[in-house]
Amino acid sequence: MGIILEKLPGITKGMPGGELFLTTADNIIDYARKTSLWPMTFGLACCAIEMMASYASRFDFDRFGVIPRPSPRQADVMIVAGTVCKKMAEPILEIYHQMPEPRFVISMGSCANCGGPYYDSYSVLKGVDRIVPVDVYIAGCPPRPEALQYAVVKLQEKLQKMRTIAIAGASLQQEHGSRDILSSTPNNEPNLPPEAGPRIEIG
Amino acid sequence: MTQEDLLSKLAAKLPHLEKAAAPVKDYLTMRMGSADDLIPSAKVLKDDLGFDYLEMISATDWLGAVKPEGYIRNPNPNVFLAEGATPQSIPTATPGYNYRPMFGVLWLFGNIPERARLFLRLEIARENARVPSLTGLFKSADWQERELYDLMGIRFEGHPNLIKILTPEFTQGHPLRKDYVHIKDKYDE
Repeated sequence: MGIILEKLPGITKGMPGGELFLTTADNIIDYARKTSLWPMTFGLACCAIEMMASYASRFDFDRFGVIPRPSPRQADVMIVAGTVCKKMAEPILEIYHQMPEPRFVISMGSCANCGGPYYDSYSVLKGVDRIVPVDVYIAGCPPRPEALQYAVVKLQEKLQKMRTIAIAGASLQQEHGSRDILSSTPNNEPNLPPEAGPRIEIG
Repeated sequence: MTQEDLLSKLAAKLPHLEKAAAPVKDYLTMRMGSADDLIPSAKVLKDDLGFDYLEMISATDWLGAVKPEGYIRNPNPNVFLAEGATPQSIPTATPGYNYRPMFGVLWLFGNIPERARLFLRLEIARENARVPSLTGLFKSADWQERELYDLMGIRFEGHPNLIKILTPEFTQGHPLRKDYVHIKDKYDE
């Protein structure tokens, strides 16, 4: 930053219009993060239909910089859209661990929030927050696309307050985000990301 | 092929099948006396009568009302009783034709050129339920029999790979049985 200030007159003259924009590094990082929230492309149940509608032209998620990515390694946010079965819990945990940090989770719909109508079921996980930390919950069964967009706006508000450099590094919660139920480490040890869980063998 | 044609052909080829009193929808439904009849009947249906497509295998547990322990939440309707309301009685199974300790197993065969369908029905005892497998005749029986084994606990004798197909490996028991009791696993805190 100091280098730029020394050469300020030259740069100002070279920039089109001669305008200059001064801000903190935190602000510009947070601004870049919040305006390019790339979600991981996957849907679990009927909420995914509403999620697809939000991506499509009528609601147009691209206006928020939300562009679905086909790989968890390119994604910032995981939209858990639908019922999380217990058999699907381990793949979701794997996707979450494959995403680069900082990573965020939006829990979309009643099923992902708390099990919803499958509260009694033997096969449904009663809320995705039992395996991954959730940033924004959306109520509804299923929520309308506007609700999902409102959740993204809420997540952007949260991102604008992150101030990564000012806080100087991630907290333990941010660094080892997942409350992982597969590993049983003592409380004072950092809860390291686990090895891949037991594989489900089919056939 | 009308049902009467099919019925006369079946009477000639498979005389041990009798027409079921309660058909499945409007389809021709035949009842088998014992599980040993299944494979010979399916062989004749496939080779001689053209029913070369096994569309579905299904099963029903006739034991009666579900046990309350099968639920995670208390299913007692009187838990949230409004003030002044009369308590409801909890449904129980009364033994009879509708509630009996039997499994009803159902096979649906299809004859696509003739546009005909045929249901085969078999009743077996719930205890240690065993049925011969049709995987030797129909490849499509493989996963359906695994599904029935997984959810109902019916063992298909002669199946090459009778393991769970739907529930995760930590789920204990067969969830669609009426006497299923949910055992808490690692995802139920």
